[in-house]
Parts: sequence; structure tokens; C-alpha cells
Amino acid sequence: MSTKEQKERIELLQGTLDLLILRTLLLGPAHGHAIAKAIEFNSDDVLQVEQGSLYPALHRLIKRGWIAVEAGVSENNRRAKFYRLTAKGRRQLAVETSKWDKLAGAIARILRSAEREGES
Amino acid sequence: MTRGKRIGRRMLEELDEDIREHIARETQDNIERGMRPEEARYAAVRKFGNVTRVKEETREVWSMVWLEQLLQDIRFGLRMLRNSPGFAAVAILTLALGIGANTAIFSLIDAVLLRSLPVENPSQLVLLRWEARNAPNIHGYMSSGDCPMADLRPGAANPSGCSFSEPMFREIAQADLFSGTAAFANSGRLTMTGNGPATVINGQLVSGDFFRTMGLKAAAGRLFEVTDDKAASAPVAVLNYGYWQSAFGGSREVIGRTMELNSVPFTIIGVAEQRFTGITPGSDYDVWLPLSDAQRITDPTRWQNRSGDASNWWMTIIGRLKPESQLAQTQAAVSGLFRNEMLHGSVPLFHSGETAGAPGPRRDSGSGFRREMVMGGTPLPGGGNAPTSMPAPPPHAGSGPGPAVGGNQMFGAPIPQSAGNKPVILQGPRGGVPGGPRASETASGPQTLSTVADNPEVKLVPAQTGLTGARGQYSNPLYVLMLAVGIILLIACANVAGLMLARAAARQKEMAVRLALGAGRARVVRQLLTESVMLSVLGGTLGVLFAYWGAHAIISFVSSNQPRPLGFATGVDLRVLGFTVAVSLLTGIVFGIAPTLRSTRVDLTPTLKDGAGSSASSGRASGKWFSIGNALVVAQVALAIVILVGAGLLVRTLQNLRNIDVGFDSHNILIFGIDPTLIGYKGAQVDSFYRDLQGRLSEIPGVKSASYSMGPLLSGGLMMTMFHWPGTPQDQNSEADVLGVGPNFFETLHIPFLAGRRFDASDFKLSASNTGDSPGFAPTPVIVNRAFVQKYVGKENPLGKRFGESEADGFRPRSPGFEIIGVVRDTKYSDLRREIHPMMYTPQSAGGASFELRTAADPQAILPAVREVVAQVNTNLPLFDVKTESEQIDRLLFQERLVARLSGFFGLLALVLACVGLYGLLSYEVSRRTREIGIRMALGAHRETVLKLILRQGLVLAIVGAVVGIGVAGGVMRYLASMLYDVRANDPVTMIAVAVLLTVVALAACYIPARRAMRVDPIVALRYE
Repeated sequence: MSTKEQKERIELLQGTLDLLILRTLLLGPAHGHAIAKAIEFNSDDVLQVEQGSLYPALHRLIKRGWIAVEAGVSENNRRAKFYRLTAKGRRQLAVETSKWDKLAGAIARILRSAEREGES
Repeated sequence: MTRGKRIGRRMLEELDEDIREHIARETQDNIERGMRPEEARYAAVRKFGNVTRVKEETREVWSMVWLEQLLQDIRFGLRMLRNSPGFAAVAILTLALGIGANTAIFSLIDAVLLRSLPVENPSQLVLLRWEARNAPNIHGYMSSGDCPMADLRPGAANPSGCSFSEPMFREIAQADLFSGTAAFANSGRLTMTGNGPATVINGQLVSGDFFRTMGLKAAAGRLFEVTDDKAASAPVAVLNYGYWQSAFGGSREVIGRTMELNSVPFTIIGVAEQRFTGITPGSDYDVWLPLSDAQRITDPTRWQNRSGDASNWWMTIIGRLKPESQLAQTQAAVSGLFRNEMLHGSVPLFHSGETAGAPGPRRDSGSGFRREMVMGGTPLPGGGNAPTSMPAPPPHAGSGPGPAVGGNQMFGAPIPQSAGNKPVILQGPRGGVPGGPRASETASGPQTLSTVADNPEVKLVPAQTGLTGARGQYSNPLYVLMLAVGIILLIACANVAGLMLARAAARQKEMAVRLALGAGRARVVRQLLTESVMLSVLGGTLGVLFAYWGAHAIISFVSSNQPRPLGFATGVDLRVLGFTVAVSLLTGIVFGIAPTLRSTRVDLTPTLKDGAGSSASSGRASGKWFSIGNALVVAQVALAIVILVGAGLLVRTLQNLRNIDVGFDSHNILIFGIDPTLIGYKGAQVDSFYRDLQGRLSEIPGVKSASYSMGPLLSGGLMMTMFHWPGTPQDQNSEADVLGVGPNFFETLHIPFLAGRRFDASDFKLSASNTGDSPGFAPTPVIVNRAFVQKYVGKENPLGKRFGESEADGFRPRSPGFEIIGVVRDTKYSDLRREIHPMMYTPQSAGGASFELRTAADPQAILPAVREVVAQVNTNLPLFDVKTESEQIDRLLFQERLVARLSGFFGLLALVLACVGLYGLLSYEVSRRTREIGIRMALGAHRETVLKLILRQGLVLAIVGAVVGIGVAGGVMRYLASMLYDVRANDPVTMIAVAVLLTVVALAACYIPARRAMRVDPIVALRYE
């Protein structure tokens, strides 16, 4: 991994990883590595999760009851843990998403207006 | 286990596998992307991040992880300590001594100064305290030792006090300003008969509402009700729990039984609850009696119809605030009542009844005097319960319609040492004081207690702080000791910090490894702080043990000086434990923080590369904390010097006091008090009783001679008189100490005569007649001391000189005055610190007395014979305050001895700790510089040179520390000045002696490591790495 790549990587805000995991699992159960990959892929590799940090997050979500874990077999026939969204997690995702939208919108508006002022 | 926890546990068990799995997949992906296998795995691991931290963070999700980590840290810390037992032992012991000393002293402070009053809701209780610009115009004032004594001497500015008259109390109680109002006063010495041999006990007179106001319950029987406090009610008594246990074995059958107090039968109705030993700290009353019984048990000559007399103030008043009322409003209301009484109530005329006055010091107050001597007496911690007496109306010999002359007597006049706790009686300046504000009103009949200009008022102060009792006399030394132990704790901290620094150096590599392996810095700091707090907690635990022993030793030392048990409950309670815990934790953090921060700021690479933390690099790295180490040692030495100087000054004070020439031979004297007036002896009976007893006592084998006086010398109490000296202006009062003595007094005490003769039988006869209702015209013969002659007589022949004669006036009978018949050597009177004042001895007549027996050998040995002789005369007469004169002096010096002993011990402790610190630092230096020393020696350095090298460092540190310490001590010691005697706070001898002592001991401490350095074998040293 080159230095350049490292610089383009955006560090995740505290708690955003939880949101991203929930969003990823909305598409269906997945195992840990797949979740990491999905996040990287869906963000065009801009968001590169330090993959290790996935695990504390997964455990946190399990503890809160937003996701559940079940044993399964992966695509290449290896035993794997599959994480899936619970009903509670689904509701939580809706709440978190709308919160995020509001936050992102607000921040975007502030930044744009600042940008315009800067231009004028 | 809950479901969540079960899941968590399973998840964690599988975490390792999950992570392995994850990395394997990533590796596989990378390989598929075309990386070589090793490269792929490397990239996968990098992308995953710090595995250890991931695991820890994941584990934190599920557990009270801090607890686990704490346990882990503790386990690890214990292992570290086990690995270096020497370090652990020194550190823990040092901390235990520091924390233990603090806990011990704090437990005393807690018991004496902080513990709340043993009653319900003590915060609602307020003490009434009067204030005025000038002394009120009253003729009797008694303080029971509940709060500081008022200085009522004429001219004293802004006097204040907490004694009130009974009419004032009744008025306040009836006004219903408080939800409960209670008054109390000392009952005086009570002779108790009806339960085995006669004994002397202490009682407190309380109003009927007292126990209800305090919110107290009975442990047995019942407590007083308002109806018990009526003149018509039968005499009843409530026992103190402790007294009930010791005198009656805690038997419930005692309820309803009768005990005789001063020959009055009292029915025991109950026992107060255990926690209540008295309302005032340090007080310890055996019984409580209703105020209405005061007259029954008090000698009528001293009673003086006090109950209805607004100008005789003798009771302390406490009120419980109503929950709904404001303090300020209540205060204004009470103050209004007081002011009204002071400005409009009239002073009754002199009660001419029972005590037609004797002139000057010899009034009929003889019996009173004995008691007052005790009152002003030895600074007992239980002093609040020392017996008291009532002032007779001042039988001052007349004062003309102008300036008063004649004897204003002051007992236990407020002098610094005795002003604290003891009940003190002061004869109010009656009829005006020469030069005083009301001098012109003297003969003008009834007058008010105070004037508008005096602005008399009452303040309500919280009972918790207002009722000082025995606190006052202890607070100063306790604070000094607390300061000393605080400094010791600082030394201990510095000491352990030094040890930790040295260890931190040794552990630098360990820390570097931990950090390199991915330990978070915060985690390492926590680990190290856990270790240091662990040390301090272990030290604290051991310290509580030390404190327990220490406090015990102090208490038993204190008790050995008391005739009565200490009125303070001491022990380790929650507050003390809380204090210890807080101190321990704080200590751990304080001494742990510097080495910890230092440890984690490691430059990893050189540390890891470095072989064994040896010469080159650590020598360089150590440059910094080497100086911290030095600074710590200098601080320790300086602090030790401060304590040592303080201790030195206090020890020298004690020595100076011990070496004082008291003016008489204090060895082999047995003294005891006896008061036949308590069981009804009167007037001439008393004198013949004494004469009879004196004769019998001097016939006891082993007794060389026997005498008696109103009070023993050096008991802490004294009596003064005022008179007019011929040739001085008419309105000028002269003052002298006075003591009534029996025949043979001077011979018995070995006080040599300088001139004149001793008292003979006719002197005593004359004195007795002058004491009576109609004094004659012949002046009372007196013997004076040299100071009296020097001050008043000058170079003339003192013998035959007359003074103090005065005419009768509206208030006082005529006084025939005094005539000097002899001069004796100066002696100390009340205590050792008080300067020698002019003093006159008068032939004693009537009253209670203290006997002095000069014995050939050990005075204690003849005590049984003495008791037998007294019992032959009257079986109902108990002896009290039995002790030898030497014991009495020891008790007088009790506080000085306690403080000197403790501060000496703490000084020694500080010295040892500082030297251990110095030793530790130098030992560390030597081991660190082993290689350097080896090289020096290999290059031809002499052993002596090496020895000097190390010794010089130690010596320089010690001297710098000593200089700093002396500087600090010079600034701090003046706060000790009030406790010192005959030695200045900046006494150079003490300071230099202490500095030399410390330097010598420090050199010894340096010598051991220096010798080790000297023995360094160059070959071994160079192979060291």
C-alpha cells in the first residue's frame, strides 16, 4: 500500500463504522471479511477500514442486539460466522441514517455557503 | 450468567479464530490479485492493524474491562514487587510509617476536634454567648469550662462569655424562642456515699428540659422531665453510662435506689444512652442532677441564693433552633431579652447573710478556695468536669465612696495556660473599679448590670464549635503534630519517588519493549500508577496497623497522666479510615507520577539496542533524572531538618521547664485534697479538724513533717488579691498572688526564710477572727515572698510593714489589712511557665485544703497509712487528687512532654527516612557507575579517591538540604513560639546541632554505598556488560 493511497484514505468518524456495517448487512447476512470488502468496494475504496477495527464494532452491535450472529458456510465452503441485521437493527439503521443525512446536509450547507463567500 | 454475557463469552472465545480466518481471506484475496504469498500475508496483516489492540478493544465491549485490567495490573505489580523484595519492603515500610503517623495523629484530631456532638441533630443546637464592650456589673461569674473563659477583670476590653444567670435562663426558656432550651453547670465536687467507701465524683446540673432538647434516650430507667426540675420535687439523678458500668456493674437494679451526694439522698431514676458522655467535648460527668437540686448539694456559704440572682452568672445555655425560624431572628429576640435585663434589671444589694466578709484573701471562702484551686487546676483533658464552686459575694473590705480598695479576688485569673478549659471563677468588680467606668456610682445603691454604651448583646453560635471544652488546650499541639506528620509523609513520598526513579531506570528497557509491542502509552502509565498506588495501599494498610498502635500508645500515655479517663472517644472510625484511604491513594499518585511519565517518554530505538542499561547510554539518559533524584534527596533532608528543629526546640522547652528552680523541694512530697465542708463541717470545726489531722499525719512513720494549704503549689490554679499599698495613689490597686497555709508549711516544703518568723498559734487565731463576721482591728499577719518585697517595699525593712487596710462601705465590711511578719524565698505558684509574682501567704482558716506530707522515702508507700489515719477521724471523708508533687509537676508538663516525645519521635523518623533516601540514591549511583568506577580504578585511581567521589556527592546533598531546611525552619518556627519556653524560635544552637547531627548521620548513610564503590573490582566491572 503506497503512501499516496494512505493519504487519500479517509478516517472514519467515531460511530460511522457501526452505521456502515448496519447498511451493508441490510443487503443480507455476511461474514466479517465480506463486510470490510463491501464497505471498501461500495465507497470506491475511499473508505478503507482498518479491518481490525471491524471486530470491536461487530461485537458492540451484537451486544446492543442490532445484529445477530449465525454459523454458516462461505462461498468457498469454509466455515464462517455470518452476521445479520435484526429487526431492532433495522429500526436503528433508519434512525441512524436519517440522523446522518441531517448531519451531512447541515455540514454540507455550512461548507458550501462558506465556499460561496470565499468566492464572492 | 445473563444471555448477553454468554454470547459475549462465546464470541470472545472464537475471536482469535475469526481474526485468523479474516486474515487468511484477505491473504487469499491478495494472492488472487497477484501478490506473492509472503507479500500477500504481510499486506493482509498490515491492513488488519494491531491485532493485540483489536482483541483488547473487542474484549472491552463485553466486560468491565477496567476491572480486569486492574486485576491484571495488580497481578503483574505483585510479581514485580516479589521480584525486588528489597525495594518493596523499603517502599512499603516507608509509606507505612508516613501514612501511619498521619492516621494516628488524625485519629486524635478527629476525636478531639472534629467529632460531632453526641446528640440528635447537633447542627440545630446553638450556644448562647454574650458580648459587651465592658465587663458587666455582676458579683459572681462561673464558667464550667464549656467555652473559653471570659476575662472579666476590670478594664478588659470587649469581654464575652457563655455563662448566664438563672433568671436570664428562665426568661429565655419561657419566651419559647427555641424548640428546646437547656441550661447546665458543674455541680462541683460531690462526695458519694451509700455504695461502698465514700468517693468523690463529678456531676453536672442540668435543666429539666436538657435531655429532651438534646434528643437523648435512656439506656435504662428514664431521663429527667421538666417536673424533676422543680424546687418541690424529690432529688433525682441520672447516671452516665460509663459510671453506671464502673460503679454499679451496669446493674438495672440500681434504678430506684438511693445514693447520697454531699449527704443528700438522691434517687437514681435512669442511665443516659452510652454515646453521651457529656455535651461538651472532653467532659465526662458521672451523674446529672436537676438544677433545682443545686442548692441542696452546695455549701450555703457558696450558694448565695443564686437561683434568683440576676447578677450571678453560672450556667451555660443551649437552644435547639426551631426548624422554621431563622437564626438571625432568634438571635435578635434572645439578644433583646438579654439587653433588657442588662439595662433595666437592677442589681440586688450585697447579701450580707451567711458570708459576712473577711478582709482580703481570708474571707470565709476557704472551702471555696480549695475547690477553685482544683478548678484552675492541672490541665486535665477531663478538665471540663473538674469541680467548681460558687463565688461568695465579694466580701471586700470596704471601699470608700471613691476608689475601691480591699480584696477583689480572682481565682484562676485568666493566664494563658489555664484560661482554656477550666472552670474559673472571677469575682465581679462590685461597686465599681478604681478608674473603671462606674467608679463614681459605687455607693449609689442599686444600679444596672450594664450600660447602653456597653452594648450588651447575645450571639448564637453553633454548639459544635462554641462548646470548646477541653479542645482549646489540645488544638495547638495537635495541629503542630499534624504538620509534622504531614511533612513526614512528604519525605516518605520523596523517598519512594526516588526509589521508583531508580527502578524506572532499570525498567526502561521493559517499558520500551512494551511500547514497541504496541502497548498504548496510557495503558503503560496506568500499569505503573497501579504499581505505585498498590505500594501506597499496602503501605497504608500496614500504616493503619501502626496508627492503631501509635494512637493506642499516645492514649495510654495521656491516660497515665490523668486521674480520670479521657473524655474523648478515640479510635479508628469511618472518617479516619476515609482519611487514610485518601492519603494512601494521593500518596501513590504523587510519588508515582514523576517516574511514570518519565518511563513512558522513552526513545525506543537506542533503549532497545542498548545492551544492559549500562554505562554509556543510561549514563547520558540518567543525566536528567539524576538531578531529579538529587532534588528529591535535598528536599527530604530539608524537610527532615524542619521537623528536627521543631522537635529540638520542643525538647529544649521541656528540659528548660524541668530544670526550673521551683523554689521548694518537690521531691518526696505526697499531696492530697480533703474537704470536710462537703459533709457539713463548719467554721472552727474545720480548723480543728485540720490541726488534728495534721498532728496524726506527722506521726505516721516515714513522714518527716505535714502541713496543709488552700491548694497545692504547681497545681495549675492560683488565687490573686488586690489591695491598696500605702503611698500609692488612692485609686490604684496593687495585686499579689495569695495562698492560705497551715502551720509548718514552709518547713514542710523546704521554703527557706529570708527574714522574720513563721506563723504561730496566735497568728492563726487572729486570722480566724478576722475571717469572721466582725473583723478586729489588728491586721492579719502575712508572710511574703522576695518578689513582693522587691516590688512593693524596696530597700526598707519589710518586717512590720502594713498595707491593705480599708473602711467598710455599703457593700463590704471593714478590713484591718495585713502586716508582714516574714519574708521567704520565691517559689513558682500555679505552674512552671508563669513568672514569679509578688505573693503573700496568710494563715489559713476554714475551707477545703490540700495536705502536703514530706516523707523520708517513696511518698506512695505511706499512702495506706494516710488513708487509715483519715478514716480514723471520719470514715465519710474521701481523699482526692492524691499524688506526689513530682507526679503533679509531670502532669503540669503533660502537654509539653507529650509534644516533645512525639515530635522527637517524628524527628527521628524524618531523619531515618531522609537518610534512607540518601542511601538509596547513592547506592543506585554506585551501581550505575560501576563501570565508570572500574575504568577509573583500572586507570590508577586510588580507592580513597573513589570513596571521596561518592562521599562528596552525599555530603554536598546533605549540606545543601540542611541549609535549605534551616532557611525554611527559620521561617516556620515562629508559629511554635507560643509553645516554647526560654528558647527562641530561631535558636541557633538548636539549628546548628540539628544540622550537624543530620550531616553526621547522612555521612554514615553514604559510607555503605561508598565502601561498595571502593571495593569495585576493575576487572569484574569492565566485564559487567
